[in-house]
Amino acid sequence: MIALDPRLGLFALLLAPSAAAILSLIPDARASQAVARAGALVAFAAAVALLVDGAAGRWGPYLGLDALSDVFLFMVTAIYATSIWYSRGYLQGLHRPFLTPQVYYALVSAFAFAMISVLVVTDLGLMWIGVEATTVASALLIVLERKPASVEAAWRYTLIASAGLTIALFALLLLYTATGTLDGYRLAANPPAATLPIEMAVALALVGYGTKVGLFPMHTWLPDAHSEAPSPVSAMFSGVLLPTALYAFLRVYQVLPEPTPAMIRDLLLAFGIGTALAAAFLLQRQRSFKRLFAYSSMEVMGLAVIGIALGGIALYGALVLIVAHAFAKSAAFYCSGTVLRATGTNRIDEVRDLQGSLPRTGGAWVVSGAAVTGAPPFGTFLGELLIVVGALEVGLVWVAGVVVVAILVAFLGVNSQIGRMVFGERLPGTRPSDRQLDAGWGYAYLNLAFALAIGIVALPYFSSGLRAAATLLGGTPP
Amino acid sequence: MNESAEVIALVGVGILLTALYLQSESFVDPLIRGIALQSLLLTVLLGWLAWSRGSVDLAVLAGLAVGVRAVFIPYVLRRQIRAFRWRVREIHAAHRVTGHALAAVALAIVAWFIFQQTLASIFPEPGAALPFILLVEGLLMLATRSNTIVQVIGYLEEENAVVYAGALFAQSFPLFVEVVVFLDVLGVVLVGVILSIQRDVTGTPEQTVLEELAG
Repeated sequence: MIALDPRLGLFALLLAPSAAAILSLIPDARASQAVARAGALVAFAAAVALLVDGAAGRWGPYLGLDALSDVFLFMVTAIYATSIWYSRGYLQGLHRPFLTPQVYYALVSAFAFAMISVLVVTDLGLMWIGVEATTVASALLIVLERKPASVEAAWRYTLIASAGLTIALFALLLLYTATGTLDGYRLAANPPAATLPIEMAVALALVGYGTKVGLFPMHTWLPDAHSEAPSPVSAMFSGVLLPTALYAFLRVYQVLPEPTPAMIRDLLLAFGIGTALAAAFLLQRQRSFKRLFAYSSMEVMGLAVIGIALGGIALYGALVLIVAHAFAKSAAFYCSGTVLRATGTNRIDEVRDLQGSLPRTGGAWVVSGAAVTGAPPFGTFLGELLIVVGALEVGLVWVAGVVVVAILVAFLGVNSQIGRMVFGERLPGTRPSDRQLDAGWGYAYLNLAFALAIGIVALPYFSSGLRAAATLLGGTPP
Repeated sequence: MNESAEVIALVGVGILLTALYLQSESFVDPLIRGIALQSLLLTVLLGWLAWSRGSVDLAVLAGLAVGVRAVFIPYVLRRQIRAFRWRVREIHAAHRVTGHALAAVALAIVAWFIFQQTLASIFPEPGAALPFILLVEGLLMLATRSNTIVQVIGYLEEENAVVYAGALFAQSFPLFVEVVVFLDVLGVVLVGVILSIQRDVTGTPEQTVLEELAG
């Protein structure tokens, strides 16, 4: 096999979505869509090549790749590509949208570019700019459907995420004052001693970036933005935006020497456990199916943070969980978009009998519900299992117990509601959904296949990339 | 105390006073004037530091502070008030400003105490705690106010805090000017775009608890 020059891969990764963002603005809507799709596919192809080659190295003062960024790039570009392809049908069903299709595709491409830029830079300051750019690019996408709730959700998202990122910027100021550099790769290779300013910087970065990850109690923007954004954008929010923010935190976290200072580990555990439990119980009382999935994403992020805190095999589990969840949750949101379009409501108690009215989407929804909540043999199951095993390995039985409780509560909450919507009897007075609208399920099944493949470790290149990424963070893959 | 430290401390106290004033005000127009004054004081501080250190970056930051946060955004905000055809007092905060003011003073004391216990040894300069106090005051404003225009003012206060801290402690922080430009772009997006959409769709800057966003 001929290996791709990593510089060429990087160039394609950065150029394709940025060119798509600009060229999508051409007046013809179909050409705009074609350009956006082509940009997403080129970026995905480049990310796959870099992952397969295990690209690592630095190019210039600010660009670089390693196993961790390779894995995240694969995940981000895959969800970006499927979301762009899924968007066509979704946009056709909108009445008087706030944005034209051209602006929509331009903003989605810019949003993807911002996330990719976070993953390919070595400088923590530039990484912060990339995370902030995701807010700017995606805020307007939330108001696509021109509803008062959408505007309020966009407002809360922009304000709360930016407030959090200001705290993250304070963390970087502190880190720079203590170390004299913001070169994340250099700091990770030669970690400074864990002095109080360094630990405070990491703690502030956890709070700051944690706001964007959706950690409790800074999560309040998350269910609003995820539920009000158009479904392909919700898929990108839940599937890859939250992990991208977590990636930015991981790069700051890498600055700490081994073993992780007790204060930081305890803080991570507190945020992780608080988030997983709060989300698992909050999702029980949701009336909107998109908010249900938003809280489920929050629960998964909580579990991933617990895995990071525990280190070892649990850290590897956290990475498996994050990647598998990205594919499974995007599938769930694609199905949500189809159901929303067909039924005209996002209320759980107003949707029934999807097995009769939207059989293909309903089926994909049931499978994706199981996948996002960690049912075997999906990758989410493997990730969650490894986190529990990791907690037991280090003797934190109570943490393992809490993780199991959160997983079970979330599993029952999500799947019982989906089961009711898919298999429940049609409500009196409601008309059956239009079967012609039973579309978009192919993208859901495609992403579910990835989530499954990760679970049975059928992607050898991906598996080796994940192992290398976990090792880089101090984890121990099985 | 040398001359430079005196200027830094004096202007810093002025910035802190504007922060406390903003917490105790419910009329929107004076709030906009207040944040413009705070940005202007920051400009003075940045200008002084730029002159005394011969730093071009700090001079650019001073230009951004006066151009964007002291003049442009306050101007747009005042136009927004007129465009909303909306009275100039925040509805929900009017009867709570005393509580907000007391909370602001208490929070300032707590933030100062935490700073002394943790970071004072690394930042021994007089007034070094002020940017951190300003940051928590901005967060308090964002958390306690329900009016979107007032929340923009909270956001601008946070941005002022970051610029203030960067200028005092991390003079050679790489790409700091670019970071601040980015924050300003976001500020302009907030006031210029999302507020305008809100005006078109809801007709009011007061946030309401929407049934769809419950839970």
